[in-house]
Amino acid sequence: MTIDHPLPSSPSQIEENAEGLATPRRPGFIKNAILTQPQAIIGLVIIGVFVFIAIFGSYLEPYSTTEKTGPVYAAPSSAHWLGTDDGGVDMLSLLIAGTKVSLEVGFAAAVVAMVIGGAVGVLSGFIGGAVDILLMRITDIFLVIPDIPLMIVMAAIFGRSLRNIIIIIGIIYWTSTARLIRAQVKSVRERIYVKRARSLGASNNRLVFKHVLPQVAPLLIANTVLMVALAIFAETYITFLGLGDPSAISWGRLIENAFQGNAVLNNAWWAIVPPGVCVTVVILACTMVGQSLEDALNPRLKVGHLSVRRFRLRPLHGKLEAE
Amino acid sequence: MEGRADYIIKRSLFAILTVFVAVTINFVLFRALPGDAVSGLRCQHCTKQYKAAMRRELGLDKSKWQQYVIYLKNLAHGNLGNTDVSHLPVRGQLWDPLKNTLMMLTLGTVFSIIFGLITGVVAAWRRGTWVDRGSLWTALAFYSMPTQWLGLMIVYFVADRVGLPHGGIQSPDLGILGPPSTWAYWSDRVEHMILPALTLGLVLYGEYTLIVRSAMLETLGEDYVLTARAKGLTNFAIVRKHGLRNAMLPIVTLIALSLGFIVGGAITVEYVFDYPGIGLAIVEAIAQRDYSFLQGAFLLLTISVILFNFLADLLYFKLDPRVTT
Amino acid sequence: MRAGKMLAALAVAALLLAAGCGGSSSGNGGGGSGAVKQGGIFTLGTTNYIDTLNPFNYIEAEAVTAYEEVFPELIQLGPDLTTYEPSFASKWSHSADYKTYTFTVHSGGKWSDGKPLTSADVAWTANTIIKYQANAAAVLASAVAHMTKAEDPNPTTVVFHYDAPIDPQLALSNLSALYVLPEHVWSKYTGNNGADLKSFHPENSLPLVSGGPFEITKYEKKGTTVFRPNPGWWGPKPHVDAVALVYYTNSDSMIADLKSGQIDAVDQVPYTAVNALKQSAGIKVAPYKFGEFTNITWNSNPLKPQNRELLNPEVKKALSMCVNRQEIINVIYAGNATLANQSLLGPFAVGWQSPSNQTLSYNCAQANTTLDSLGYKKVNGVRMVPATTGKYAQPAHPMSYQVMVPDSLDFNGNREFTIVQQGWQQLGVKVTEQAGGDSSQAYAIETASGCNAAKKTGYSKYDIALWDWFSYPDPDFQLSTPTTGQWCSWSDTGFSNPTYDQWYKQEGTLAGPSRKALVAKMDNYLSAQWIYTFLVNEKAIAAETNAIGGFQAQLSGYSYDYFNTVYKK
Repeated sequence: MTIDHPLPSSPSQIEENAEGLATPRRPGFIKNAILTQPQAIIGLVIIGVFVFIAIFGSYLEPYSTTEKTGPVYAAPSSAHWLGTDDGGVDMLSLLIAGTKVSLEVGFAAAVVAMVIGGAVGVLSGFIGGAVDILLMRITDIFLVIPDIPLMIVMAAIFGRSLRNIIIIIGIIYWTSTARLIRAQVKSVRERIYVKRARSLGASNNRLVFKHVLPQVAPLLIANTVLMVALAIFAETYITFLGLGDPSAISWGRLIENAFQGNAVLNNAWWAIVPPGVCVTVVILACTMVGQSLEDALNPRLKVGHLSVRRFRLRPLHGKLEAE
Repeated sequence: MEGRADYIIKRSLFAILTVFVAVTINFVLFRALPGDAVSGLRCQHCTKQYKAAMRRELGLDKSKWQQYVIYLKNLAHGNLGNTDVSHLPVRGQLWDPLKNTLMMLTLGTVFSIIFGLITGVVAAWRRGTWVDRGSLWTALAFYSMPTQWLGLMIVYFVADRVGLPHGGIQSPDLGILGPPSTWAYWSDRVEHMILPALTLGLVLYGEYTLIVRSAMLETLGEDYVLTARAKGLTNFAIVRKHGLRNAMLPIVTLIALSLGFIVGGAITVEYVFDYPGIGLAIVEAIAQRDYSFLQGAFLLLTISVILFNFLADLLYFKLDPRVTT
Repeated sequence: MRAGKMLAALAVAALLLAAGCGGSSSGNGGGGSGAVKQGGIFTLGTTNYIDTLNPFNYIEAEAVTAYEEVFPELIQLGPDLTTYEPSFASKWSHSADYKTYTFTVHSGGKWSDGKPLTSADVAWTANTIIKYQANAAAVLASAVAHMTKAEDPNPTTVVFHYDAPIDPQLALSNLSALYVLPEHVWSKYTGNNGADLKSFHPENSLPLVSGGPFEITKYEKKGTTVFRPNPGWWGPKPHVDAVALVYYTNSDSMIADLKSGQIDAVDQVPYTAVNALKQSAGIKVAPYKFGEFTNITWNSNPLKPQNRELLNPEVKKALSMCVNRQEIINVIYAGNATLANQSLLGPFAVGWQSPSNQTLSYNCAQANTTLDSLGYKKVNGVRMVPATTGKYAQPAHPMSYQVMVPDSLDFNGNREFTIVQQGWQQLGVKVTEQAGGDSSQAYAIETASGCNAAKKTGYSKYDIALWDWFSYPDPDFQLSTPTTGQWCSWSDTGFSNPTYDQWYKQEGTLAGPSRKALVAKMDNYLSAQWIYTFLVNEKAIAAETNAIGGFQAQLSGYSYDYFNTVYKK
């Protein structure tokens, strides 16, 4: 594994290192980045398997996910490979159904965070000046709002549907993407202005903009992959706090059910172990892929790895991007 | 030198402004929830008149703006008020759970550092081998586990086997007929802290592994190491002498950042282990719409986050004098 | 010798009298019946907490459990939880017009600080609550409802005067919430128009002055509260040296501690843990009588803007008939519940229920037939309600609703919803679950913002909810909830009917058989309206180890015997 970055660095260091992105990206860069690193391939394969299960899940489920098809907390048997839960519902079917919801939330929330964060980052970095300062202050405010109450309040006001959870996760976690993209855009923009000014004498904003985006895209994609891991993680967190959609079955929900349904007391390890293993494996896979992408982009970039936990942990004014 | 003093002043001012903004946001945030401390009461004597009287008592019948002004005035005098639910001073009600969480977090951080040091050194020492890769993969795997799930797993597979409690902070038979001895009290507390702290330690140690490992690797690549090796020192001795020193500052910085992160990380652990810390207290206060308690708690947490991050910034400043704003 | 014999006889007679005076409740070995070991500590685990030791501020039910043990009460409920037994009062009577009640209390009682415990304390407590019932004493106001004054003509007699006739069951029910406070301690705190009563924190001066079998020597709201026998107690002495009430947030560690013997008993075992616990050696698991009963709540606001077909009792009855209540009992309660009848009064008010209430059988075929006959045709599997005309005209719409499920249920509401959903699917009625949130939110969903009883606004945003009620020996409270006066407060159905309101007003002034008849009439009427569909009567389940005996779990909050009759083996 090529994770050998030291402590994540300050934005100025990020900016300095971003200049290491000297050459414009060749098409197929990403494909190249992945195929040359074994862990990226493993990660992709794992994600692929889960995506397959998510898409074709309803054909794979052996039993209903709502009806009682076996005894309560039945141990794994040939009839129920992963046993049943506290309502006599087949665990394997629940797990498969959960794949769809968890991945859905993960990808969708990551996209929301990427869109918001990316937009803010690009605008901030590109336009600069007052807009930059304003947007960065807004980012700081989001950092200062404690995440749990924000989740609870939003869930209470807007209702606990899957769609709202996706939005909540996106709103809470867009800030790190914003900062990262901003740093990147700033440095790229500087270089391109200088280059064009030298060669043409006058810079054309639109053309520069067109050049900035492709430079930013790979980083954005790498960050999004890591954000997917973060979102899946956040979903288990939110559901565990009791803020999840009551009619949606997700891995986080299965963990919560095990807790509320006294699975420990009933010695029902089959209700506890599988959902957590799924979450861990998917997050690991996403981290592997995201990491490889970032490594390929610039080994000196030294930006946030081990992203899933450092959410909400950040200094103001962005001295340390402990992502 | 001048630049540095300037920087510190600027940052302090900004910190104060942030606290103010945070305080205001917290005031507004909880009042956005439907209902207040009184509306959800479902006891037989909680009649309309009773609820109206309670609202008057808690000052909830005033306009939001008036409540805000009163809150700020009290805050300026250092008065956090009384909780809406038990009418006891907020300050006292905050301190007990906070103490519990701090103790558990400290123990958890100690676990993290120990695991991180061991795995980091071993990984650096055996760089490139399966030991190295295995350590990193394991660290990453633990890092990727949902905290509440790991907690549940530990309760299920570990608690009974080692004879540790499933949760809580105190054994039910402690100090019933009379106050317990100091030893009995503290050993009981520690017994109840071990598993939650272990859970936290396991999920967080990965970062320390990475820091330690890179610090070691950097050290091993330094020029003076070549000299040392020429002198005949083994890798391990070098690592021990210079590498750990290199790792110290980043580790300390990481700790500072972690301590500012009290609520989010601790809440799931406290939930699973029924540990009466600040995270659990906050979740309950939200359910009961105890605005006074929540405002006090979040003021405290915001200040601590800002304080510790500021500290971490200063450490970073020290580490890299090239950095300016 | 004769004098001696006479003295001996007198002594025996005195002893018998004292024992008779002190012994009111069953099952206690007061006076040393020999079979019961004395001493030891009884540790009881619970997930309910005592929120305060000041009765003027309490909200939680567990606080009442504590007050029962430290404050004298005139009467208390017996083990059957329906008849009131003597406690501090040994006998009572009422005047023919039901406006005066006289209680005779035990003599020679003392508070734990040695001061005499007499009828003066009872009268003082009652009069103080009457005086401040509008504000500071609002919490205890129901104990003195309609009471004008309390007198203590002599140390063993208390007389209560009411301004209107009051039925004995209602009077006793109200007085069972009169926790007698020591006048010599509390009279200091009546300043500020009584507000000082609320700001006094007895927990700061433990052990508080107690008149019950126990005094509290240690109090932790979310921890352990310790009860030690009160030396001044006039009644049957407790068997144990101490009772430790241990609070747990999460039932898993509570049950783990029970299994390892660290606690002796648990007052309420969660339904998901019952079967696992039954298989543990050395643990006795038994259900006991409990007042909670669950329901489907129908928004019955006559002015509700949408889905007005749900105001039709026939529709509600049909839907109710296709809910598999037996499956609910088996899956959610692990068999520890019984089918409820359709009385709002609940299982504890059996004597008051109307004998001709609606019954509910499980018959989806008949339900389908009823809905067919109402003209709700199935389109793509979901029934359509035709358009209506008139004042509350509605367009044609499908029978598709949201069911609000609060978070705060003590049973798995989500599973209950699933069972209801599956049943109604067979009828062509589609429902989705709406998360209710905590109590405050759930109520807010039902009452809707801007709820105003005078303007008749509110109850406009929900159709169906799943919730529960608690039953009481006296029906008055339950009967009050569907009145218009309880709009935006206790009413969760938004039901409003002027005739019913009139009946309720009348009910408060009747006593004796005429009251019973009116109550039965009101009960029957409500049952026919189907404002609720009652699902099951819950049984609570207690678990204890073999280390104790004499634990009567059902008495929590109703009688001091809850702690008093327990002994360690």
